[in-house]
Amino acid sequence: MSFVIAAVVVGIGTYLSRAIFILALANRRIPDSVLVMLQFVAPAVLAALVVAVLIDESGSAAIGIPELAAFAAGGATAYKTRNHIATLVVGMTVFWVVRALV
Amino acid sequence: MAVDRAIVRRAVGDAVPLYVPAIPFSLVIGLAISEAGVNPLAGWSTSWLIFGGAAQLTLITLVGAGTALAAAVMAALVVNARHLMYSAALAPTFQNQPAWFRWLGPYVLIDQVFALAMLEEKTDPVAFRTYYLSIGFTFWALWQSTTALGLALGPVVPDSWNLEFAVPILFLGLIVIGLDKSSKAAAALVGAGVTFLTAGLPNRSGLLVGALAGILAGTMIERFRP
Repeated sequence: MSFVIAAVVVGIGTYLSRAIFILALANRRIPDSVLVMLQFVAPAVLAALVVAVLIDESGSAAIGIPELAAFAAGGATAYKTRNHIATLVVGMTVFWVVRALV
Repeated sequence: MAVDRAIVRRAVGDAVPLYVPAIPFSLVIGLAISEAGVNPLAGWSTSWLIFGGAAQLTLITLVGAGTALAAAVMAALVVNARHLMYSAALAPTFQNQPAWFRWLGPYVLIDQVFALAMLEEKTDPVAFRTYYLSIGFTFWALWQSTTALGLALGPVVPDSWNLEFAVPILFLGLIVIGLDKSSKAAAALVGAGVTFLTAGLPNRSGLLVGALAGILAGTMIERFRP
């Protein structure tokens, strides 16, 4: 399976997730139990992704002091400002500065 | 049918400021395409094939990290499952709309479009349609442009900057900014912890195990909390 096919599959799946109730199931409601689960999809998957991209092929974490410092600073900035740009700028700046120092 | 230009102007005026926070996100996607070593045009095509930043970035970075395509596709689809909620919430508003719009509208149903459209659901059908398509395709055009810009910048940025580290920082920001209750924090912590513990599983399938564990943990806490 090539990357483009993968992108097409994700594209179709994404479209369906956006369209299914509008096109086909307008009179159905999502059961409350499913709604409860859906709200945890974003935090759980994103957190899993953060770890997944930091692990190398051998399964060990490719993470050091600069990365940890950047996560702490970026997380605190996101919490304080609720702003993606500030989070990215502070996180990357701390990463570069700490990396230069250690 | 004449298009109400006043509505279009108001829609564009609503959409552009909301797009600003998405600009670094789209640039990072462009950079991630360069980093991942996928064909640039194929990588950029995700912007109009998928048109969803988190899913695009998931697919691109996981493929770049050597994840099996099937697992990367699964992960990207799970990331986008939240759109089911948007679809269900907007379905009543779409019922008195023509079929072409019910087919076209969902294509641009991103987070920002949902947030703005929910504020307009009481307006008459023609005005809603004009407003929805105006914001939707404003976001769409901006997204195509700025991801392309990020792609153009990718090869220019020196490797030593390690800009790929912007990806986990961006994800961390998305998590923290979305946290509005402790059960979501628990879902994130369990998701991260289990992914780490299952890192040895083949094809990086630990990612999906971790995500599932996080979703279950959040659900359990929500259900059994006194």
